[in-house]
Amino acid sequence: MNSRVPKTLGSRLSLWLALQSFFGLLAVCIAIYAATFYAFRSHQLEELAHKKGLLEHFASEALSTGDEKMLGHKLRDFKVGHSEFGLRVLRAEGTVFFEDVVPSATSQRRLIEFELASPVAGHRPFQVTLSQDIRKDQSLLERIAAALVFAALGGTLLVSCGGYLLVWLGLRPLRELSTQVQGLAADSLHRRLDGSNQPGELAPLVAQFNDLLARLDASYEHLEGFNADVAHELMTPLATLTSGAELALSSAKSVEELRDTLGSSLEDLQRITGIVQDMLFLSQADRGAVARRVHTPSLAAVVKQVADYHEAALEDAGLSLVVVGDAVGEFDVSLLQRALSNLIGNASRYASSGSEVRVLINSSSPNEVSIQVENRGSTIEPAALPRLFDRFFRADMARSNANRNHGLGLAIVAAIARMHGGRPIASSSEGVTKVGLVLGSSKTSES
Amino acid sequence: MKLLVIEDEVKLAEYIRRGLQEEGYVVDLAHNGIDGLHLAMESDYDLIVLDGMLPGIDGLGLLAALRQSKRTPVVMLTARVKVEDRVRGLQSGADDYLVKPFAFSELAARIQALLRRTKGPSEPEPVRLLQVHDLELDLIGRKATRCGQKLQLTVQEFGLLSLLMRHEGQVLSRTEIAAQVWDMNFDSNTNVIDAAVRRLRSKVDEPFHRPLIHTVRGMGYVLEARDE
Repeated sequence: MNSRVPKTLGSRLSLWLALQSFFGLLAVCIAIYAATFYAFRSHQLEELAHKKGLLEHFASEALSTGDEKMLGHKLRDFKVGHSEFGLRVLRAEGTVFFEDVVPSATSQRRLIEFELASPVAGHRPFQVTLSQDIRKDQSLLERIAAALVFAALGGTLLVSCGGYLLVWLGLRPLRELSTQVQGLAADSLHRRLDGSNQPGELAPLVAQFNDLLARLDASYEHLEGFNADVAHELMTPLATLTSGAELALSSAKSVEELRDTLGSSLEDLQRITGIVQDMLFLSQADRGAVARRVHTPSLAAVVKQVADYHEAALEDAGLSLVVVGDAVGEFDVSLLQRALSNLIGNASRYASSGSEVRVLINSSSPNEVSIQVENRGSTIEPAALPRLFDRFFRADMARSNANRNHGLGLAIVAAIARMHGGRPIASSSEGVTKVGLVLGSSKTSES
Repeated sequence: MKLLVIEDEVKLAEYIRRGLQEEGYVVDLAHNGIDGLHLAMESDYDLIVLDGMLPGIDGLGLLAALRQSKRTPVVMLTARVKVEDRVRGLQSGADDYLVKPFAFSELAARIQALLRRTKGPSEPEPVRLLQVHDLELDLIGRKATRCGQKLQLTVQEFGLLSLLMRHEGQVLSRTEIAAQVWDMNFDSNTNVIDAAVRRLRSKVDEPFHRPLIHTVRGMGYVLEARDE
């Protein structure tokens, strides 16, 4: 896609095929031409050698008579049957004894030179130049060459067209896939690519793409829902703010009443501020903020400190709190305090009066620590457990104390767990509910 | 005490000025970094409240320019909540740091603390005895009495009461109380503070004729002897 030439996979493959077939055919044609050329040449040389033998035979016959004229006759007879040959015989001193040559360019003749014994005794041998006219062979070769070039080009064209067609057919699944992808849009994320008649090479691609779509779809849904939740969550305090302000302005009010309205407005504003700050915290956690770890000698001590903070609230709810177990590691203490405060706050909200809230600390493995807050009360539906940590999710819409608690507390616990390279955990059965977090206890456990 | 507030949001700047004037400070305003820096360099302020995001010069840039010649204490206000930003702000010479949105009472408290710190080593002698109306707190002996009767307080309650008495007549926000008494530096579970104050009241106020701990709706709590 990103390379300039050629732009598509199809044209790229077609071009490669065309080039390959052209050069392949060219090589074959050159070989055929060369073979033909050498066959002709050796044939011509054989011919000349044969005629040379003939002339030597004449010379030896003439030698027995010792008559030059006789040789002349023989040479003329030879020429009669062999018009394509040219013959020139010079005496040793350079005078012409016999000459019969068709004038033509030397390039169109193949010639050999040799000596021929003179029939007259005591004479030095003749110098013979025997040439053969090869124009016929050459024009034949030219025709063959033309035919070969034509065959190469034609063959290339044929193979290219065939190749283009095959490539086009071969890429059909890819075209189908891209048509399918074009059909997807943000509002149809629930659709998936159909990989049923795709070749094996594309199957992993289709599977990965569908996985990606599924994840996108889920986050998109989540986001949509989240936006609706946020709007809904902000709507209540905004509505009371607005109506309170309108009421305060509608008629003359005493200073005391106005102060009360302002105070109530402040409470609403603090609630909105709390929601916005929690959302900012979550978005930072989502964007990969990690815990700033310091050596923490005792997790139980951190829990006790948070428990002290909740002392009065726990007492109000008629609850006692015990810490079981301890662990050491590197944690972000202020983040842990926040998570624990949310967990203990939740537990005290849902625990049955007079029961005991237990905070369980376990080092399940060398680099993992779990902290769970356990309370006795009503059992949470198994279906609701995994969603407990979703933003604004409330397992008990009816019981939620919306004034004090917007549904981000456990989402923040989950975020703090992830910031420590861990995960949130929750279980509930027979009236005992445990909610908590698993922490990577050192920097090395973070991915 | 003369303060300079550099804040580009006119409405917010005006509120801060009014609030600080009510606390008895003289307050100058600047709405952009360039005017702010000019004012800060020209006259001597006891403290500067500086917004981190300003038109002209941004807060950190202004701070760097100011620190080349002046040691005026600076409280930074910022909408950013990243710890790195906070560290950067403190490194580039801010003395304290407040994240928007903040409660005004908190800003006032920070300013007061910062002014106390920078006014040199004239730290008052550690107080041994706190007294408001007929309520007495012995910080050394860790004893609380009202009308001569000993009050049975837990460690948490004692800490909360001493904080309220130290800031007699000053409204303390729940966030501040959580930070000062329990060292919990996050905004949540305000009902936890309410429960703690309720329990303290049941011991300090209810048995007696005159309540000293008052709720200021939307702001927090204040301990003072009010006229009935």
